[in-house]
Amino acid sequence: MNQLISYTAGLLKLPETSFREGGNHEAYVTLPGEGLGEAMFRLEKEFGLAALFCVQNFSGEEGFTLFYAFEKSGCPDMLIIQRELAGTQTTSIARRFPSACWYEREISDGFGIEFINAFDKRRLFLHEAYPAGFHPLLKSFRNQPMETIKDIPPENEYRFREVEGEGVYQIPVGPVHAGIIEPGHFRFSVIGETIFNLEIRMFYKHRGVEKLAEGKTPTECVPIAESISGDETAANATAFCIAVEKVSGIEVPPRAWQLRTVFLELERIYSHLGDLAGMITDVAYPVGASGFYILREEILRQNAALTGSRFLKDSICIGGLKRDVAPDKLRGLSEYMTSFPARLGRALDLVHRSSGVIDRLDTTGVIRKELVGPIHITGPAARASGVDTDTRIDHPYGIYSRFPLTKHVREKGDVMCRFEVKAEEILDSVDIISRLTGQMRQGDTCSSAGIKDGHALSMVEAPRGQTVQWVRVKGGLVDRWKVRTASCCNWRAIEHAVMGNIVPDFPLINKSLNLSYAGTDL
Amino acid sequence: MKVYQADMLKQFSRIFQPKLAERYADKDFEALGIELKQSISSVFGRSLAIREVDSGSDNAAEIELVNLTTPYYDIERFGVSFVASPRHADVLVITGSVTHNMEIAVRKTYEAMPYPKLVVAVGDDACDGGIWKNTYAVNGGADRVIPVDIKIPGNPPTPREIMLGLLALMKSIRKK
Repeated sequence: MNQLISYTAGLLKLPETSFREGGNHEAYVTLPGEGLGEAMFRLEKEFGLAALFCVQNFSGEEGFTLFYAFEKSGCPDMLIIQRELAGTQTTSIARRFPSACWYEREISDGFGIEFINAFDKRRLFLHEAYPAGFHPLLKSFRNQPMETIKDIPPENEYRFREVEGEGVYQIPVGPVHAGIIEPGHFRFSVIGETIFNLEIRMFYKHRGVEKLAEGKTPTECVPIAESISGDETAANATAFCIAVEKVSGIEVPPRAWQLRTVFLELERIYSHLGDLAGMITDVAYPVGASGFYILREEILRQNAALTGSRFLKDSICIGGLKRDVAPDKLRGLSEYMTSFPARLGRALDLVHRSSGVIDRLDTTGVIRKELVGPIHITGPAARASGVDTDTRIDHPYGIYSRFPLTKHVREKGDVMCRFEVKAEEILDSVDIISRLTGQMRQGDTCSSAGIKDGHALSMVEAPRGQTVQWVRVKGGLVDRWKVRTASCCNWRAIEHAVMGNIVPDFPLINKSLNLSYAGTDL
Repeated sequence: MKVYQADMLKQFSRIFQPKLAERYADKDFEALGIELKQSISSVFGRSLAIREVDSGSDNAAEIELVNLTTPYYDIERFGVSFVASPRHADVLVITGSVTHNMEIAVRKTYEAMPYPKLVVAVGDDACDGGIWKNTYAVNGGADRVIPVDIKIPGNPPTPREIMLGLLALMKSIRKK
């Protein structure tokens, strides 16, 4: 922590005493009103913007505070720049940190704050149905069902980027798609069959996650965290619980952390298996996909045996776990895992022997390494593009520092690389589970310590990458909860990955990242 | 060349091996599937075409619906298929609490369906809004926006529960 503080203090020319340590390996520093542009310039080279969010009435007085959370490669601690706004205006940083674009639009929608000099000021999660001047995250708005606009005049419709030129035409796709998948709109500008530009419009599934949590006890919010994205139930619930546990100084018993880790890795296995199956389905090779689907179904059944839910719902709670897992169920999991790597190997073999599959996966949908930093691409997508990042290793939480984890990195950044990275990560997760089930500690699975007030940042490596959450507890209730899932960052990578590819490869590229719409739309 | 022939022979001999799906057969599920197939036959002649629209679920319900088509379940054996357009659908499956941002798309999908326009709400949030019930962003249940014939609760319902729901839908139509 001291290393980060002294380094940043030198970089930003601020006294070390102006930094304040947070609850969970994060350092806060308040930036004076004028210095934002200068500070961003200094941070640009070495820091990545992990999240940007707004909190109302943070310092006791009326007003807005912006928090810019930065990650520095090789540094386990996070830097959070805090800025008190004098009114409802501030300068945009999206030209220096492009990943800020969505965050700023999100803050504009939620709080009505204007970002001067922003290159995109369109509304984000509030679609046309919401009236102008409506800002749901303001404390003055009481969360309740509301009337929306039913007849939207054409001039109020969302304006997509126009691409003009000879032979250029547009293909609008969605929000309702042909398959059983989530809703989102893709606007392709195409020349012949080649994609020239893609603009993605999300937030069709906006359910009001962050507002719903306000005024509830942290315990009541765990089911909301689980519903951020169904296939990342354990990751999001764990991230939320870590933040509250750090705020309250709750020690989670060792057995609970072991079981949480088993759940988190099971989630990674079934999620990655679904991705592998999806990619192979999308190149029209259902025989090759079925091996992965069979294994995924078996993992979902293991989840149900351990927790009663195929998606591990209703099992993680603040302080540990709601219920212990019976020893015979863990033995069953351990026995099941012994034959798993060989069976996965056979399924992978079938894929690798098919020249038709290799032909479709290889060189398709390249995400260039240079984009990883500016867009803050995370998880397997970043690793497949040559960037060795993994929250489990970079910012260890729980008991992950005890495992000899490796980062599986590929250089080319195409669909094939993402396929291979995910396949290797499944085997790593199997290894972690096998080690854990062999050395389970006995004892309690939940701490009974009470919840205290405060705020903290927490990060967890979900199957799709880094999940960031920031929780503020005030008077025993959640005052503000910011969620930023890996999908929120990686969606913008797809816009770049598809360029120059043909339209029929879009489903494959999309599946190779398999992002959560629910986790982005909140 | 020799290797290639040996490989061919191996592939060919698989025809006589027990089928992969038989290895995973589950007697109760098979019985349920056959019952569903018979009830579909008595109402729709032969098959049931389903269109799925997600109106704001947490995506777990979609995963379970996809699972119905995977080797363990393979629901197409029982006359149920998932189709790509509402214009080809007998049944519209809605997941999610119908967010305001999805409301128009849900209405348009329903309007595009041919009669009898059956609608099934899958999952707690599609049934009555679930945990999102009183937020500003959702309508709170599919029946707030379009008529719903049957509700299959669960967070999310398992593939088996979805099958039972479809069976109940067929039975309710037959009674009418």
